[in-house]
Amino acid sequence: MAAFAATAGGLLRLRAAGSEGQWRRLRGAGLLRGLLQPESATGVAAQRRRVAHFTFQPDPEPREYGQTQKMNLFQAITSALDNSLAKDPTAVIFGEDVAFGGVFRCTVGLRDKYGKDRVFNTPLCEQGIVGFGIGIAVTGATAIAEIQFADYIFPAFDQIVNEAAKYRYRSGDLFNCGSLTIRAPWGCVGHGALYHSQSPEAFFAHCPGIKVVVPRSPFQAKGLLLSCIEDKNPCIFFEPKILYRAAVEQVPVEPYNVPLSQAEVIQEGSDVTLVAWGTQVHVIREVAAMAQEKLGVSCEVIDLRTILPWDVDTVCKSVIKTGRLLISHEAPLTGGFASEISSTVQEECFLNLEAPISRVCGYDTPFPHIFEPFYIPDKWKCYDALRKMINY
Amino acid sequence: MDRQGQIINPSEDPHLPQEKVLKFYRSMTLLNTMDRILYESQRQGRISFYMTNYGEEGTHVGSAAALDNTDLVFGQYREAGVLMYRDYPLELFMAQCYGNVSDLGKGRQMPVHYGCRERHFVTISSPLATQIPQAVGAAYAAKRANANRVVICYFGEGAASEGDAHAGFNFAATLECPIIFFCRNNGYAISTPTSEQYRGDGIAARGPGYGIMSIRVDGNDVFAVYNATKEARRRAVAENQPFLIEAMTYRIGHHSTSDDSSAYRSVDEVNYWDKQDHPISRLRHYLQSRGWWDDEQEKAWRKQSRKKVMEAFEQAERKPKPSPSLLFSDVYQEMPAQLRKQQEALARHLQTYGEHYPLDHFEK
Repeated sequence: MAAFAATAGGLLRLRAAGSEGQWRRLRGAGLLRGLLQPESATGVAAQRRRVAHFTFQPDPEPREYGQTQKMNLFQAITSALDNSLAKDPTAVIFGEDVAFGGVFRCTVGLRDKYGKDRVFNTPLCEQGIVGFGIGIAVTGATAIAEIQFADYIFPAFDQIVNEAAKYRYRSGDLFNCGSLTIRAPWGCVGHGALYHSQSPEAFFAHCPGIKVVVPRSPFQAKGLLLSCIEDKNPCIFFEPKILYRAAVEQVPVEPYNVPLSQAEVIQEGSDVTLVAWGTQVHVIREVAAMAQEKLGVSCEVIDLRTILPWDVDTVCKSVIKTGRLLISHEAPLTGGFASEISSTVQEECFLNLEAPISRVCGYDTPFPHIFEPFYIPDKWKCYDALRKMINY
Repeated sequence: MDRQGQIINPSEDPHLPQEKVLKFYRSMTLLNTMDRILYESQRQGRISFYMTNYGEEGTHVGSAAALDNTDLVFGQYREAGVLMYRDYPLELFMAQCYGNVSDLGKGRQMPVHYGCRERHFVTISSPLATQIPQAVGAAYAAKRANANRVVICYFGEGAASEGDAHAGFNFAATLECPIIFFCRNNGYAISTPTSEQYRGDGIAARGPGYGIMSIRVDGNDVFAVYNATKEARRRAVAENQPFLIEAMTYRIGHHSTSDDSSAYRSVDEVNYWDKQDHPISRLRHYLQSRGWWDDEQEKAWRKQSRKKVMEAFEQAERKPKPSPSLLFSDVYQEMPAQLRKQQEALARHLQTYGEHYPLDHFEK
């Protein structure tokens, strides 16, 4: 699949890309420096990489899991995979380009460490990757499948929805593929456009039998991924690609678990409940700070973490307290997962609500390239919606 | 043509006129120049992403030249030379990469996702092999319309592993479609070499399994590519059946600006193909040995093509981006009421919060 690595802040080192013989001497850099004005003179400065729409906030160093190490998101993933393959001799990792380390470097070093029969490339075929993974899991072995971008998971939709999700149920528990975990990079990255930015959790939320998980940080990612791998049900683990390099914090070296189907209240508050997952958690965290500073409003911030099955109790408990709920996700508004949360909360907490539930989401369009800054549910849109809710 | 540009088998020499062969050469080299400049512009943060075509220029130009201008093209993403041969202007290549107001695609897609209705080149999408069954459908419709038109569908050897490829091949054969399947076998799918992509005899060997006449050609021999495509086209239209051409070539560049291929292949391997078997140098040897090209013309053309590219580039940089209202159009042919409301909500939002958005670089 057409791939690129999230470059937030870091360019991959360039080796001579090579071009035909004598034409090679016309190296691009020389051409541009010789013939172009410096950027400031032509006023194209803003065409350079933009500042990200969020600021990653590391959590305090965890103390209860032993020695920690500074890791970014992809390193935390590698660590989880490393722990899994060390503990579980049946565990294998496979997908496109995982052998050399993966297009996002999540599997670097694992093939050398665990062998080519345990970390290997498959042919370019998502339906095959997932079907193959289901088969491994049916025998009881642990299958960790990588889909190169969540945007490319759709050829595997049939295998996931009709097969993986229904294996246990349809067989009367004679068979299951619980030891299957599917990982995929997810979410906006600044320039991913239609096919490198999608957040497809809503499609899978509609499918009983699978679990869907989205971490907000390296520490969360490692613990949640380990829980997914060990969980006795097929899991889809979406990794916010914009955080692969940008999110850095202290992460335990040894394995540990973060529980599935438990949302986390990462900041307590009394006036409004804000719910998000993945990258968007950092956006709403900032919105909470803005609300406190500009409006004197106290926000309770919840990271949902598991989309399916989701933690209804934690969210409802919070809304009962605050009376106001704002849910935000990059995925389009209509049929997005905020709709499910909104619907359930108004059923459970109707009399507690002081204002209609607010959803700040992507528009009902494909994810655009050049218009990304206008498309995403950034802090200004969230702040504005919060303001309106307070004044309702 | 051998690697020194000498015709190996005179009976297979297409005897193309000088002007045509010079057009081959200029298309391939102009593409190469544009590639190097745009690749570098991504490194400098001017565009967000780029994919080069190094080493595969022969597959694009040889096949494009053998088609009629109205033949419909479905590509994957590494076929810019087809557009170049069809005289897609540099201004529009750049416009798409920059997502500026001149982009026919209205700034919605990542760079190199070109499309051109006028030149019958269906807009590229990132997912692999999705174009294959689509191309087959288009060919079927062309057959029914008695259009005397062929459809060509390009894809890499990696994409041929997708389920959509199997579907496309089988449909084309059973439904008797006038389509040319053109596989660019360039040795790699990102980091995955062909030894990990398939165990059979490449892609050409799959064709007969579907009842599709197939041929394997040296993709770096632009005349061989031309000959195979020409004959495939003639027969596809005359006989309403599919043809499969597997063009063996090599991806000299990285997969994209997000890839560093030194992580999975040796510089020696890349240099070998660059120096020993490059479609551009092979063609240049041919031209020079016929007295149709010389070092002075080479020098002049390099200067001229570089200048053309730089001019288009500078212009593309200066142009604004399209109006953000274009974020909302073309989802459907008509805009649903709910979407119009979202469009209006954004407009209102920008009135209050506009300072936080890069509005200066966009049209109103």
